[in-house]
Amino acid sequence: MAVHYVLKEEDIPEGGFSLVQVDGREIGIYHVNGEYHAIHNYCPHQGAPMCAGLVSGTTLPSEVYSYEYGKAGQIIRCPWHGWEFDLKTGKALFNEKIRVRKYTVEIEDGKIGILITKSITGSGAIRDSIL
Amino acid sequence: MKGYKIIDADVHNEQEDAALLPYLKEPWRSRVAASGIGYAGSGYYSPIGVMKKDSIPPGGGRAGSNPDFMIKQLIDGYDLDYAILTGVVYNISTTHDPDYAAAICSAYNDFLIAEWFGKHKAFKGAMVVATQDPLLAAREIDRVGGHPDIVEVMISSAARAPLGQRYYHPIYEAAERNGLPIAVHPGAEGGGGSTAPTSAGYPSRYIEWHTCLSQMFMAHLVSLVCEGVFVKFPNLKFVMVEGGVAWLPGLMWRLDKNYKALRSTVPWLTKLPSQYIRDHCYLTTQPIEEPDNPQHLIDLFNMIDAENMLLYSSDYPHWDFDSPDHILRKLSPEARRKIFRDNALQLYKLT
Repeated sequence: MAVHYVLKEEDIPEGGFSLVQVDGREIGIYHVNGEYHAIHNYCPHQGAPMCAGLVSGTTLPSEVYSYEYGKAGQIIRCPWHGWEFDLKTGKALFNEKIRVRKYTVEIEDGKIGILITKSITGSGAIRDSIL
Repeated sequence: MKGYKIIDADVHNEQEDAALLPYLKEPWRSRVAASGIGYAGSGYYSPIGVMKKDSIPPGGGRAGSNPDFMIKQLIDGYDLDYAILTGVVYNISTTHDPDYAAAICSAYNDFLIAEWFGKHKAFKGAMVVATQDPLLAAREIDRVGGHPDIVEVMISSAARAPLGQRYYHPIYEAAERNGLPIAVHPGAEGGGGSTAPTSAGYPSRYIEWHTCLSQMFMAHLVSLVCEGVFVKFPNLKFVMVEGGVAWLPGLMWRLDKNYKALRSTVPWLTKLPSQYIRDHCYLTTQPIEEPDNPQHLIDLFNMIDAENMLLYSSDYPHWDFDSPDHILRKLSPEARRKIFRDNALQLYKLT
Protein backbone atom coordinates (compact mmCIF):
# COMPACT_ATOMS: atom_id res chain seq x y z
CA MET A 1 0.00 0.00 0.00
CA ALA A 2 1.46 3.33 -1.04
CA VAL A 3 0.39 6.89 -1.72
CA HIS A 4 1.62 8.20 -5.06
CA TYR A 5 1.75 11.99 -5.22
CA VAL A 6 1.05 12.87 -8.82
CA LEU A 7 -0.16 16.47 -9.05
CA LYS A 8 -0.54 19.70 -7.12
CA GLU A 9 -3.97 20.95 -6.16
CA GLU A 10 -3.68 23.95 -8.47
CA ASP A 11 -3.18 21.58 -11.43
CA ILE A 12 -6.90 20.72 -11.43
CA PRO A 13 -9.29 23.67 -11.18
CA GLU A 14 -12.80 23.21 -9.80
CA GLY A 15 -14.82 21.30 -12.41
CA GLY A 16 -11.70 20.04 -14.17
CA PHE A 17 -9.93 16.72 -14.33
CA SER A 18 -6.56 15.23 -15.15
CA LEU A 19 -5.51 11.83 -16.43
CA VAL A 20 -2.42 10.39 -14.73
CA GLN A 21 -0.38 7.19 -14.87
CA VAL A 22 0.08 5.52 -11.51
CA ASP A 23 1.70 2.16 -10.95
CA GLY A 24 0.89 0.95 -14.48
CA ARG A 25 -2.71 2.10 -14.60
CA GLU A 26 -4.50 5.15 -15.97
CA ILE A 27 -6.42 7.08 -13.38
CA GLY A 28 -8.63 10.14 -13.86
CA ILE A 29 -8.69 12.67 -11.03
CA TYR A 30 -11.78 14.91 -10.92
CA HIS A 31 -12.21 18.10 -8.89
CA VAL A 32 -15.90 18.24 -7.98
CA ASN A 33 -17.40 20.73 -5.51
CA GLY A 34 -14.13 21.13 -3.63
CA GLU A 35 -13.38 17.41 -3.46
CA TYR A 36 -11.08 15.22 -5.52
CA HIS A 37 -12.24 11.86 -6.87
CA ALA A 38 -10.01 9.34 -8.63
CA ILE A 39 -11.36 6.63 -10.93
CA HIS A 40 -9.85 3.95 -13.12
CA ASN A 41 -9.91 4.93 -16.81
CA TYR A 42 -11.81 1.73 -17.62
CA CYS A 43 -15.53 1.17 -17.84
CA PRO A 44 -16.65 -2.08 -16.15
CA HIS A 45 -19.06 -2.78 -19.04
CA GLN A 46 -16.88 -3.15 -22.16
CA GLY A 47 -13.60 -1.54 -21.13
CA ALA A 48 -14.12 1.89 -22.70
CA PRO A 49 -11.72 4.69 -21.70
CA MET A 50 -14.08 6.13 -19.10
CA CYS A 51 -12.30 9.44 -18.73
CA ALA A 52 -13.08 10.33 -22.36
CA GLY A 53 -16.67 10.62 -21.14
CA LEU A 54 -18.37 13.91 -20.35
CA VAL A 55 -19.07 15.09 -16.80
CA SER A 56 -22.41 16.69 -16.06
CA GLY A 57 -25.40 16.59 -13.75
CA THR A 58 -28.39 14.42 -14.42
CA THR A 59 -32.06 13.91 -13.77
CA LEU A 60 -32.77 12.46 -10.32
CA PRO A 61 -35.53 9.93 -9.64
CA SER A 62 -38.79 11.85 -9.74
CA GLU A 63 -42.55 11.68 -10.22
CA VAL A 64 -43.86 10.76 -13.68
CA TYR A 65 -43.47 13.70 -16.11
CA SER A 66 -41.51 15.81 -13.64
CA TYR A 67 -37.79 16.41 -14.01
CA GLU A 68 -35.43 17.21 -11.17
CA TYR A 69 -31.90 18.04 -12.24
CA GLY A 70 -29.13 17.46 -9.72
CA LYS A 71 -25.65 16.11 -8.94
CA ALA A 72 -24.24 18.86 -11.17
CA GLY A 73 -20.64 18.14 -12.13
CA GLN A 74 -20.75 14.82 -10.30
CA ILE A 75 -21.85 12.35 -12.99
CA ILE A 76 -19.50 10.84 -15.53
CA ARG A 77 -21.06 9.23 -18.56
CA CYS A 78 -19.17 6.42 -20.33
CA PRO A 79 -17.97 7.64 -23.74
CA TRP A 80 -19.30 4.55 -25.52
CA HIS A 81 -22.62 3.32 -24.20
CA GLY A 82 -23.55 6.28 -22.05
CA TRP A 83 -23.78 4.50 -18.68
CA GLU A 84 -23.85 7.11 -15.88
CA PHE A 85 -21.60 6.76 -12.82
CA ASP A 86 -21.49 8.91 -9.67
CA LEU A 87 -17.93 10.21 -9.23
CA LYS A 88 -18.43 10.36 -5.45
CA THR A 89 -19.26 6.67 -5.08
CA GLY A 90 -18.18 5.08 -8.35
CA LYS A 91 -21.61 3.45 -8.58
CA ALA A 92 -23.68 3.22 -11.74
CA LEU A 93 -26.96 5.09 -11.47
CA PHE A 94 -28.99 2.18 -12.83
CA ASN A 95 -27.50 -0.43 -10.47
CA GLU A 96 -25.21 0.33 -7.57
CA LYS A 97 -23.59 -3.10 -7.79
CA ILE A 98 -21.98 -1.94 -11.04
CA ARG A 99 -19.07 0.35 -10.25
CA VAL A 100 -16.16 2.05 -11.87
CA ARG A 101 -13.10 1.41 -9.73
CA LYS A 102 -12.39 4.28 -7.34
CA TYR A 103 -9.10 5.15 -5.67
CA THR A 104 -8.69 6.97 -2.39
CA VAL A 105 -7.29 10.50 -2.79
CA GLU A 106 -5.05 11.94 -0.08
CA ILE A 107 -4.15 15.63 0.00
CA GLU A 108 -0.98 16.66 1.76
CA ASP A 109 0.79 20.02 1.60
CA GLY A 110 -1.18 20.94 -1.51
CA LYS A 111 -0.22 17.76 -3.28
CA ILE A 112 -2.74 15.24 -4.65
CA GLY A 113 -1.92 11.63 -3.75
CA ILE A 114 -3.48 8.40 -4.98
CA LEU A 115 -3.61 5.47 -2.58
CA ILE A 116 -2.75 2.24 -4.36
CA THR A 117 -3.56 -0.96 -2.52
CA LYS A 118 -1.98 -4.21 -3.49
CA SER A 119 -4.72 -5.74 -5.58
CA ILE A 120 -5.69 -4.26 -8.91
CA THR A 121 -8.95 -6.23 -8.94
CA GLY A 122 -9.70 -6.16 -5.25
CA SER A 123 -13.27 -4.91 -5.37
CA GLY A 124 -15.44 -7.96 -5.86
CA ALA A 125 -18.43 -5.96 -6.98
CA ILE A 126 -16.71 -4.75 -10.13
CA ARG A 127 -17.81 -6.71 -13.14
CA ASP A 128 -15.34 -6.96 -15.98
CA SER A 129 -18.02 -7.29 -18.58
CA ILE A 130 -21.60 -8.23 -19.08
CA LEU A 131 -21.11 -10.96 -21.66
CA MET B 1 -4.89 -16.76 -28.45
CA LYS B 2 -7.72 -17.10 -30.86
CA GLY B 3 -5.55 -17.61 -33.93
CA TYR B 4 -7.65 -15.72 -36.45
CA LYS B 5 -8.46 -12.15 -37.38
CA ILE B 6 -11.87 -10.57 -37.04
CA ILE B 7 -14.22 -9.23 -39.70
CA ASP B 8 -16.40 -6.30 -38.64
CA ALA B 9 -19.60 -6.11 -40.68
CA ASP B 10 -20.75 -2.59 -39.73
CA VAL B 11 -18.26 0.28 -39.65
CA HIS B 12 -19.53 3.80 -40.23
CA ASN B 13 -17.21 5.98 -42.25
CA GLU B 14 -18.51 9.52 -42.37
CA GLN B 15 -17.74 12.67 -44.30
CA GLU B 16 -18.68 16.31 -44.38
CA ASP B 17 -21.49 16.92 -46.89
CA ALA B 18 -19.09 19.04 -48.96
CA ALA B 19 -16.83 16.01 -49.48
CA LEU B 20 -19.36 14.66 -51.97
CA LEU B 21 -19.38 17.84 -54.11
CA PRO B 22 -16.66 16.67 -56.54
CA TYR B 23 -18.73 13.58 -57.24
CA LEU B 24 -22.07 15.33 -57.81
CA LYS B 25 -23.43 16.56 -61.12
CA GLU B 26 -25.59 19.68 -61.46
CA PRO B 27 -28.16 20.61 -60.38
CA TRP B 28 -27.39 18.56 -57.28
CA ARG B 29 -23.91 19.97 -56.74
CA SER B 30 -25.18 23.53 -56.35
CA ARG B 31 -27.95 22.37 -54.06
CA VAL B 32 -25.61 20.53 -51.69
CA ALA B 33 -23.04 23.35 -51.83
CA ALA B 34 -25.70 25.84 -50.75
CA SER B 35 -27.79 23.79 -48.33
CA GLY B 36 -25.99 20.58 -47.39
CA ILE B 37 -27.41 17.15 -48.09
CA GLY B 38 -30.48 17.66 -45.88
CA TYR B 39 -31.35 14.24 -44.50
CA ALA B 40 -34.83 13.61 -43.11
CA GLY B 41 -33.83 12.12 -39.75
CA SER B 42 -35.97 10.45 -37.15
CA GLY B 43 -36.14 13.55 -34.95
CA TYR B 44 -35.49 11.62 -31.75
CA TYR B 45 -33.07 13.09 -29.18
CA SER B 46 -30.42 11.19 -27.23
CA PRO B 47 -28.36 12.80 -24.45
CA ILE B 48 -25.52 10.48 -25.45
CA GLY B 49 -25.42 11.60 -29.06
CA VAL B 50 -24.64 9.24 -31.91
CA MET B 51 -20.84 9.14 -31.66
CA LYS B 52 -18.70 7.46 -29.05
CA LYS B 53 -16.74 10.25 -27.44
CA ASP B 54 -13.25 8.83 -27.94
CA SER B 55 -13.64 8.52 -31.71
CA ILE B 56 -13.18 12.15 -32.75
CA PRO B 57 -9.96 12.29 -34.82
CA PRO B 58 -7.13 14.14 -33.02
CA GLY B 59 -6.97 16.70 -35.84
CA GLY B 60 -10.70 17.36 -35.59
CA GLY B 61 -13.52 16.53 -37.97
CA ARG B 62 -16.35 14.05 -37.70
CA ALA B 63 -15.93 10.71 -35.99
CA GLY B 64 -15.27 8.12 -38.68
CA SER B 65 -14.11 10.71 -41.23
CA ASN B 66 -10.36 10.16 -40.99
CA PRO B 67 -9.14 6.86 -42.49
CA ASP B 68 -5.78 7.03 -40.71
CA PHE B 69 -7.38 7.42 -37.29
CA MET B 70 -9.88 4.65 -38.05
CA ILE B 71 -7.00 2.37 -39.00
CA LYS B 72 -5.20 3.16 -35.75
CA GLN B 73 -8.19 2.95 -33.41
CA LEU B 74 -10.27 0.20 -35.02
CA ILE B 75 -8.34 -1.83 -37.60
CA ASP B 76 -5.09 -2.05 -35.66
CA GLY B 77 -6.69 -1.56 -32.24
CA TYR B 78 -8.83 -4.68 -32.57
CA ASP B 79 -6.70 -6.57 -35.11
CA LEU B 80 -9.37 -6.61 -37.82
CA ASP B 81 -8.84 -8.44 -41.08
CA TYR B 82 -11.67 -6.59 -42.83
CA ALA B 83 -13.99 -3.72 -41.97
CA ILE B 84 -17.14 -3.43 -44.04
CA LEU B 85 -17.63 0.32 -44.51
CA THR B 86 -21.32 1.11 -44.37
CA GLY B 87 -21.37 4.92 -44.28
CA VAL B 88 -24.56 6.73 -43.30
CA VAL B 89 -25.94 7.67 -46.71
CA TYR B 90 -28.56 4.89 -46.69
CA ASN B 91 -30.52 7.37 -44.55
CA ILE B 92 -31.26 9.38 -47.71
CA SER B 93 -34.13 7.00 -48.44
CA THR B 94 -36.49 8.93 -46.17
CA THR B 95 -36.19 12.13 -48.24
CA HIS B 96 -38.74 12.98 -50.90
CA ASP B 97 -37.12 13.50 -54.30
CA PRO B 98 -36.15 10.15 -55.90
CA ASP B 99 -33.76 11.71 -58.40
CA TYR B 100 -31.93 13.67 -55.72
CA ALA B 101 -31.69 10.65 -53.43
CA ALA B 102 -30.27 8.56 -56.26
CA ALA B 103 -27.72 11.28 -57.11
CA ILE B 104 -26.51 11.46 -53.49
CA CYS B 105 -26.06 7.68 -53.44
CA SER B 106 -24.09 7.69 -56.70
CA ALA B 107 -21.84 10.48 -55.45
CA TYR B 108 -21.21 8.64 -52.19
CA ASN B 109 -20.42 5.38 -53.99
CA ASP B 110 -17.84 7.14 -56.16
CA PHE B 111 -16.45 8.91 -53.07
CA LEU B 112 -16.16 5.61 -51.21
CA ILE B 113 -14.31 3.98 -54.07
CA ALA B 114 -11.99 6.93 -54.67
CA GLU B 115 -11.21 8.04 -51.13
CA TRP B 116 -11.46 4.99 -48.84
CA PHE B 117 -10.74 1.68 -50.54
CA GLY B 118 -7.14 2.43 -51.38
CA LYS B 119 -6.29 3.56 -47.85
CA HIS B 120 -6.02 0.10 -46.29
CA LYS B 121 -6.45 -3.47 -47.47
CA ALA B 122 -8.94 -4.07 -44.64
CA PHE B 123 -11.42 -1.65 -46.16
CA LYS B 124 -14.29 -3.26 -48.05
CA GLY B 125 -17.57 -1.49 -48.49
CA ALA B 126 -21.31 -1.42 -48.93
CA MET B 127 -22.49 0.54 -51.93
CA VAL B 128 -25.69 2.36 -51.14
CA VAL B 129 -28.90 2.80 -53.11
CA ALA B 130 -32.04 4.76 -52.34
CA THR B 131 -35.36 2.93 -52.31
CA GLN B 132 -37.55 5.77 -53.63
CA ASP B 133 -37.01 4.55 -57.22
CA PRO B 134 -35.98 0.88 -57.43
CA LEU B 135 -35.25 1.15 -61.16
CA LEU B 136 -32.69 3.90 -60.56
CA ALA B 137 -31.30 1.79 -57.73
CA ALA B 138 -30.91 -1.21 -60.03
CA ARG B 139 -29.10 0.93 -62.59
CA GLU B 140 -26.69 2.13 -59.88
CA ILE B 141 -25.99 -1.45 -58.78
CA ASP B 142 -25.09 -2.34 -62.36
CA ARG B 143 -22.91 0.80 -62.56
CA VAL B 144 -20.67 0.23 -59.52
CA GLY B 145 -21.58 -3.20 -58.13
CA GLY B 146 -18.77 -4.89 -60.01
CA HIS B 147 -16.03 -3.02 -58.18
CA PRO B 148 -13.88 -5.61 -56.38
CA ASP B 149 -14.05 -3.82 -53.02
CA ILE B 150 -17.86 -3.48 -53.06
CA VAL B 151 -19.19 -6.46 -51.12
CA GLU B 152 -22.87 -5.64 -50.60
CA VAL B 153 -25.70 -3.25 -51.44
CA MET B 154 -27.06 -1.31 -48.49
CA ILE B 155 -30.60 0.03 -48.19
CA SER B 156 -32.43 1.74 -45.35
CA SER B 157 -34.86 -0.11 -43.11
CA ALA B 158 -36.78 3.17 -42.86
CA ALA B 159 -39.01 2.73 -45.89
CA ARG B 160 -42.42 3.50 -47.31
CA ALA B 161 -43.59 -0.13 -47.31
CA PRO B 162 -42.40 -3.57 -46.17
CA LEU B 163 -39.23 -4.49 -48.03
CA GLY B 164 -40.47 -7.76 -49.48
CA GLN B 165 -43.10 -6.14 -51.71
CA ARG B 166 -42.77 -6.39 -55.51
CA TYR B 167 -42.10 -2.68 -55.86
CA TYR B 168 -38.56 -3.31 -54.55
CA HIS B 169 -37.79 -6.37 -56.63
CA PRO B 170 -35.71 -4.61 -59.31
CA ILE B 171 -33.16 -3.82 -56.55
CA TYR B 172 -32.98 -7.45 -55.54
CA GLU B 173 -32.79 -8.68 -59.12
CA ALA B 174 -29.83 -6.36 -59.76
CA ALA B 175 -28.09 -7.39 -56.55
CA GLU B 176 -28.44 -11.06 -57.39
CA ARG B 177 -27.23 -10.40 -60.94
CA ASN B 178 -24.10 -8.75 -59.50
CA GLY B 179 -23.54 -11.43 -56.88
CA LEU B 180 -24.04 -9.00 -53.98
CA PRO B 181 -26.00 -9.43 -50.74
CA ILE B 182 -28.52 -6.78 -49.71
CA ALA B 183 -27.83 -5.22 -46.30
CA VAL B 184 -30.60 -3.40 -44.43
CA HIS B 185 -29.66 -0.71 -41.91
CA PRO B 186 -31.80 1.42 -39.52
CA GLY B 187 -31.34 5.07 -38.62
CA ALA B 188 -34.00 7.41 -39.96
CA GLU B 189 -37.09 5.48 -38.88
CA GLY B 190 -40.05 7.84 -38.64
CA GLY B 191 -38.37 10.59 -40.64
CA GLY B 192 -39.53 12.14 -43.90
CA GLY B 193 -41.58 9.82 -46.07
CA SER B 194 -40.97 6.65 -44.07
CA THR B 195 -43.59 4.84 -42.02
CA ALA B 196 -44.02 5.44 -38.30
CA PRO B 197 -41.02 4.00 -36.45
CA THR B 198 -43.06 1.52 -34.40
CA SER B 199 -46.10 -0.58 -35.18
CA ALA B 200 -48.04 1.48 -32.65
CA GLY B 201 -47.02 4.87 -33.99
CA TYR B 202 -44.58 7.52 -32.83
CA PRO B 203 -43.20 7.01 -29.31
CA SER B 204 -42.10 10.00 -27.23
CA ARG B 205 -38.42 9.29 -26.69
CA TYR B 206 -35.24 7.91 -28.24
CA ILE B 207 -35.10 5.04 -25.72
CA GLU B 208 -38.46 3.81 -27.05
CA TRP B 209 -37.58 4.48 -30.69
CA HIS B 210 -34.25 2.64 -30.43
CA THR B 211 -35.72 -0.35 -28.60
CA CYS B 212 -38.49 -0.70 -31.16
CA LEU B 213 -36.17 -0.69 -34.19
CA SER B 214 -36.32 -4.47 -33.91
CA GLN B 215 -40.01 -4.25 -34.87
CA MET B 216 -39.01 -2.76 -38.19
CA PHE B 217 -36.70 -5.68 -38.88
CA MET B 218 -39.31 -8.22 -37.85
CA ALA B 219 -41.82 -6.71 -40.28
CA HIS B 220 -39.33 -6.53 -43.14
CA LEU B 221 -38.11 -10.08 -42.59
CA VAL B 222 -41.62 -11.55 -42.56
CA SER B 223 -42.39 -9.57 -45.72
CA LEU B 224 -39.24 -10.77 -47.50
CA VAL B 225 -40.09 -14.39 -46.81
CA CYS B 226 -43.82 -14.25 -47.51
CA GLU B 227 -43.54 -12.15 -50.68
CA GLY B 228 -41.34 -14.90 -52.11
CA VAL B 229 -38.20 -12.81 -52.53
CA PHE B 230 -36.03 -15.84 -51.82
CA VAL B 231 -38.02 -17.98 -54.24
CA LYS B 232 -37.77 -15.42 -57.02
CA PHE B 233 -34.09 -14.71 -56.29
CA PRO B 234 -32.71 -18.02 -55.03
CA ASN B 235 -29.11 -16.84 -54.86
CA LEU B 236 -29.84 -13.62 -52.98
CA LYS B 237 -28.67 -13.14 -49.40
CA PHE B 238 -29.85 -10.50 -46.91
CA VAL B 239 -27.93 -9.02 -44.00
CA MET B 240 -30.10 -7.49 -41.29
CA VAL B 241 -27.79 -4.94 -39.71
CA GLU B 242 -28.22 -3.53 -36.20
CA GLY B 243 -31.78 -4.73 -35.75
CA GLY B 244 -31.18 -7.05 -32.81
CA VAL B 245 -31.00 -10.84 -32.63
CA ALA B 246 -32.88 -12.18 -29.60
CA TRP B 247 -36.30 -11.73 -31.20
CA LEU B 248 -35.53 -14.16 -34.01
CA PRO B 249 -36.44 -17.52 -32.40
CA GLY B 250 -39.92 -16.36 -31.44
CA LEU B 251 -40.53 -14.87 -34.86
CA MET B 252 -39.48 -18.10 -36.58
CA TRP B 253 -41.77 -20.17 -34.39
CA ARG B 254 -44.77 -17.91 -34.87
CA LEU B 255 -44.26 -17.65 -38.62
CA ASP B 256 -43.80 -21.40 -39.04
CA LYS B 257 -46.93 -22.08 -37.02
CA ASN B 258 -48.94 -19.70 -39.17
CA TYR B 259 -47.52 -21.23 -42.35
CA LYS B 260 -48.95 -24.60 -41.40
CA ALA B 261 -52.44 -23.09 -41.44
CA LEU B 262 -52.07 -20.35 -44.03
CA ARG B 263 -49.69 -21.89 -46.57
CA SER B 264 -52.33 -21.59 -49.27
CA THR B 265 -51.96 -17.78 -49.22
CA VAL B 266 -48.24 -18.06 -50.01
CA PRO B 267 -48.18 -21.17 -52.21
CA TRP B 268 -44.76 -20.28 -53.63
CA LEU B 269 -43.21 -21.17 -50.29
CA THR B 270 -42.37 -24.87 -50.33
CA LYS B 271 -40.30 -24.92 -47.15
CA LEU B 272 -41.04 -23.71 -43.64
CA PRO B 273 -40.52 -19.92 -43.52
CA SER B 274 -37.76 -20.30 -40.93
CA GLN B 275 -35.83 -22.40 -43.44
CA TYR B 276 -35.78 -19.51 -45.92
CA ILE B 277 -34.49 -17.27 -43.15
CA ARG B 278 -31.73 -19.75 -42.28
CA ASP B 279 -30.79 -20.21 -45.93
CA HIS B 280 -30.81 -16.58 -46.99
CA CYS B 281 -30.40 -14.26 -44.01
CA TYR B 282 -27.66 -13.06 -41.73
CA LEU B 283 -28.01 -10.79 -38.73
CA THR B 284 -25.24 -8.58 -37.36
CA THR B 285 -24.59 -8.81 -33.65
CA GLN B 286 -24.46 -5.19 -32.51
CA PRO B 287 -26.12 -3.94 -30.35
CA ILE B 288 -26.03 -7.37 -28.77
CA GLU B 289 -28.71 -8.06 -26.18
CA GLU B 290 -27.22 -8.28 -22.67
CA PRO B 291 -29.34 -10.37 -20.28
CA ASP B 292 -28.20 -10.40 -16.63
CA ASN B 293 -27.31 -14.06 -17.11
CA PRO B 294 -25.17 -14.18 -20.28
CA GLN B 295 -25.95 -17.87 -20.72
CA HIS B 296 -29.57 -17.01 -21.51
CA LEU B 297 -28.54 -15.37 -24.77
CA ILE B 298 -26.37 -18.35 -25.69
CA ASP B 299 -29.34 -20.61 -24.98
CA LEU B 300 -31.42 -18.57 -27.42
CA PHE B 301 -28.67 -18.82 -30.03
CA ASN B 302 -28.57 -22.57 -29.64
CA MET B 303 -32.33 -22.87 -30.21
CA ILE B 304 -31.94 -21.68 -33.80
CA ASP B 305 -28.31 -22.49 -34.63
CA ALA B 306 -27.69 -18.75 -34.65
CA GLU B 307 -23.94 -19.27 -34.94
CA ASN B 308 -24.47 -19.93 -38.66
CA MET B 309 -26.50 -16.74 -39.20
CA LEU B 310 -24.62 -14.09 -37.23
CA LEU B 311 -21.92 -11.67 -38.31
CA TYR B 312 -19.91 -9.76 -35.73
CA SER B 313 -20.32 -6.00 -36.02
CA SER B 314 -19.02 -3.15 -33.87
CA ASP B 315 -20.98 -0.16 -35.24
CA TYR B 316 -17.80 1.91 -34.85
CA PRO B 317 -17.74 4.86 -34.20
CA HIS B 318 -21.31 5.03 -32.91
CA TRP B 319 -22.27 5.22 -29.25
CA ASP B 320 -23.46 1.63 -28.94
CA PHE B 321 -20.15 0.18 -30.22
CA ASP B 322 -19.57 -3.45 -29.19
CA SER B 323 -15.96 -4.35 -28.46
CA PRO B 324 -15.11 -7.81 -29.85
CA ASP B 325 -13.19 -8.60 -26.67
CA HIS B 326 -16.18 -8.03 -24.42
CA ILE B 327 -19.22 -9.65 -26.03
CA LEU B 328 -20.35 -13.26 -26.54
CA ARG B 329 -17.56 -14.60 -24.34
CA LYS B 330 -19.60 -17.60 -23.29
CA LEU B 331 -19.86 -18.93 -26.83
CA SER B 332 -17.84 -21.98 -27.78
CA PRO B 333 -14.59 -21.18 -29.60
CA GLU B 334 -16.01 -22.77 -32.75
CA ALA B 335 -19.16 -20.65 -32.67
CA ARG B 336 -17.13 -17.52 -31.96
CA ARG B 337 -14.93 -18.17 -34.95
CA LYS B 338 -17.95 -18.49 -37.23
CA ILE B 339 -19.51 -15.29 -35.96
CA PHE B 340 -16.33 -13.21 -35.76
CA ARG B 341 -14.84 -14.40 -39.05
CA ASP B 342 -15.93 -17.42 -41.06
CA ASN B 343 -19.56 -16.47 -41.81
CA ALA B 344 -18.50 -13.07 -43.16
CA LEU B 345 -15.59 -14.53 -45.07
CA GLN B 346 -17.95 -16.86 -46.88
CA LEU B 347 -20.79 -14.38 -47.41
CA TYR B 348 -18.56 -11.61 -48.75
CA LYS B 349 -16.31 -13.99 -50.69
CA LEU B 350 -13.20 -12.68 -48.93
CA THR B 351 -9.93 -14.52 -48.61
